[in-house]
Amino acid sequence: MRDDVSDATRRASPIDTAGNAVIAKAHAAGRQRRFGQISIEVRRSASFPLRLFALAAALVTGLGLSAFALILVGVPAESLADEFVSATILDPMNFKAVLVQAAPLILVGLAAAMAFRVRFWNLGIEGQMIFGGVGATLVSLLHLGPEWARLPLMGLAAVTCGALWASIPALLKLRLSVNEIISTLLLNYVAYYVLLHLLYGAWKDEDGFPHSPAYAASELLPNLDSGVSVSLVLAGGMTLLMTYLVARSRAGFYMRFVSANPGVARALGLPVANMVLFVVLVSGSLAALAGFVVSSGQEGRLTQSFFPGYGVSGVLIGFLARNNPVAAAVVALLMSVLVIAGQNLQVFYGIPPSMVQLIQAVVVMSVAASDFLVIHRVHWIRYRA
Amino acid sequence: MTHSLLELERVSKAFDGFQALDGASFSAAAGEIHALLGENGAGKSTLMNICCGLYTPDSGSLRLAGRETRLSGPREAAALGIGMVHQHFKLVRPFSILDNVLLSRLGSGDRIASAKGERLAMRAAIHEQAAALGGTLDPDARIDSLSIAEQQRVEVIKALIAGARILILDEPTAVLTDQEAEKLMLTLRRLASSGTTVVLVTHKLMDVKRFADRVTILRGGRTVGSIDPKGTALEELTRLTVGETLPTVRETQPVFGRRRLETLGLSVRRADGTKAVDAVSFHVRAGEIYAIAGVSGNGQSELTEVLMGLRRAGSGSVQFEDAGEAVTAADPARLRRYGVAFIPADRYRYALAGGLSVAENYGVGDVARGRYGSWLWLRRGRLRKNAEEALSSFDVQGVRALSQKAALLSGGNAQKLVIAREFSDPPSIIVAQSPSRGLDARATAAVHARLQASARNGAAVLLVSEDLDEAMKLAHRIGVMAGGKLVGEFTAPFDRQQIGGAMVGHA
Repeated sequence: MRDDVSDATRRASPIDTAGNAVIAKAHAAGRQRRFGQISIEVRRSASFPLRLFALAAALVTGLGLSAFALILVGVPAESLADEFVSATILDPMNFKAVLVQAAPLILVGLAAAMAFRVRFWNLGIEGQMIFGGVGATLVSLLHLGPEWARLPLMGLAAVTCGALWASIPALLKLRLSVNEIISTLLLNYVAYYVLLHLLYGAWKDEDGFPHSPAYAASELLPNLDSGVSVSLVLAGGMTLLMTYLVARSRAGFYMRFVSANPGVARALGLPVANMVLFVVLVSGSLAALAGFVVSSGQEGRLTQSFFPGYGVSGVLIGFLARNNPVAAAVVALLMSVLVIAGQNLQVFYGIPPSMVQLIQAVVVMSVAASDFLVIHRVHWIRYRA
Repeated sequence: MTHSLLELERVSKAFDGFQALDGASFSAAAGEIHALLGENGAGKSTLMNICCGLYTPDSGSLRLAGRETRLSGPREAAALGIGMVHQHFKLVRPFSILDNVLLSRLGSGDRIASAKGERLAMRAAIHEQAAALGGTLDPDARIDSLSIAEQQRVEVIKALIAGARILILDEPTAVLTDQEAEKLMLTLRRLASSGTTVVLVTHKLMDVKRFADRVTILRGGRTVGSIDPKGTALEELTRLTVGETLPTVRETQPVFGRRRLETLGLSVRRADGTKAVDAVSFHVRAGEIYAIAGVSGNGQSELTEVLMGLRRAGSGSVQFEDAGEAVTAADPARLRRYGVAFIPADRYRYALAGGLSVAENYGVGDVARGRYGSWLWLRRGRLRKNAEEALSSFDVQGVRALSQKAALLSGGNAQKLVIAREFSDPPSIIVAQSPSRGLDARATAAVHARLQASARNGAAVLLVSEDLDEAMKLAHRIGVMAGGKLVGEFTAPFDRQQIGGAMVGHA
């Protein structure tokens, strides 16, 4: 039967009638490689210590590479630790700046982490922040409610506006299957121009600058006696609330099924669409709170300070935290250290502001790459002599 | 005695403390069809994955033509003449046959000078191999236009073109009809007579008995024996595989109640406008098992999807007793409130979230029913406790911890987990599609026993099965589907010839 195999086949599959000769030949070729081989196989599951080790290794690698880059642009190696640890965490002024910066970062991190839990890639965090600020400012400009209720009302208005804004891509996705990556991203521009329209138009301050009139004293998020801003308390409270929602409520249980396998969740009769809508509204509300915190806790008015950066930072925090709310808060705090340290480095060593983004990117890529080790098992096979 | 072409000696492999193989040995000579028999979880797939370089053994040796060999991966295994046809085909569906073959040759180091030359050569090679296997295949046909049997043939051809002298097939007949399986076996016989070693991983005793020259039996990761199946009684093979004799269920004459599930002129259209289900009417009474038999692809899947609430019917209606009215479209959540339980054929598509824990997969139904607290608080402790009890009472094995991922369960145990969940609230209607597909004899018996017990307790059971033996064994009545129509209805005792005739007569 082999005899009628054409020439082409013979070349393609070098089978000779002796059969085993092929194997012997290939075997001999293998033996010429003296150092053995790397073998890679897929793990069936990864243990917790292994995951921890991979994460630690990734962080060390990422930070090591970042340190190298910083040294290259002229930061002395011996002062790196000084700038990152002593100057930010041990210096009271800077530490306070870290905490102030941490509040909105925690909120955007939570916003991303929650949305990712139902496979909704919310890249519209900045737009939702803008509408949070717009909602809060609306209450401030209209002097709604008695003075003591002004701040809660501003918060409520911010959440409502942010959630409504986030409901647009959610409904587009659920009703018309519009990809939310595109819609959320593009709606950011819409939100941005709405903001400009207000700040250059109806809401322009009397001083002529494109920002809203300053909030009244009762409309600013105060500091507690201990010096900690209410913003941070708000962010911490949201972290706990999200942890409860994810770990202890039925919604969290459903979210795990929607995330693990939407098809199975649907076949099991779980309210998949309603879960997605609910979680996106929660995500939009968290982003809007971040906008409220920036306006009322940092700027004291509606400005253009929702600079491109919060959205990306939120996504990175959500990713690094593996969508876990508590981890998101921790990562956001570290991110805040990085931002403040970066500002100091800019002032003292003249490094470009993009270095901070570079460090973020390097760390994120290292963590993403470490997944390979978690998913695969790599062996070294040595040939015996 | 000629020495073996492929030899595995005292091979062990553990996954996170679970001993999948425990000193198993296997050896196959050139030119024979060698069956590897064992229950789900006996270690068959692990052993063969070691042969084709996907796993590295923890200990033990692999010898090819008498030489000790270590494989770095599937590519080296292929270079050494070991080809594998996996149960789930490794084909790129939107690609043509030719492109899939070319893709499999990337990096093999065995290429012909020009890309054009290689395309020509491979096109010829596909024709040659297809002819040698007894058939024709159009190299430009897209994979998703092929039937399952044809896709399988493409996999075999791919392995042969790569130069396979040892061809391993994992459960090749599981996805085929009787006739297709017969044809495949003739093909393999022809290959074997030309000197290729064929290793057939299976748990179907009949396949072994009819087609294999030799059979090696695995149980619990160890080799139980290697014997000639022709000279061994079926009972003996069963005993070696399972370890003990299976209990048989004795049937008493049942009494049927009211119609629990009824379809009236149900029609479903495919995306291209043709009718997948064409005016199908039948009913299932309380206490009755009604089977829908037929060659696969005759509308059974579409019918099941409508009944599961995953697809809309074009016309006609479905009547559930507890719904009180006829419904044309019901979502899965509503069907569950009517007391309908589902055992789908594709477990990881419709029933289990593989990435989630066993406990979560068990509890999801009852969580939705509010048995584990309100929306505000999930009673995880109670869920875990109940899951533990259910796993033991439904005999789900291979669970080392409740937090273990469901994807790590073997097919039989995954199916038992589905049943444990679906039956945690005694259902009044059960829709089961190929519930024993891919399961070994013991798990199949357990699944069958559950369905029969439910029917005795008054549930209406609809069994959609491509396995006529299963349908005839369990059902009280059988409806045969062909070309989307219900072409015949039979009442027990059944005549196999008659039903078989209805199945193919209208196809």
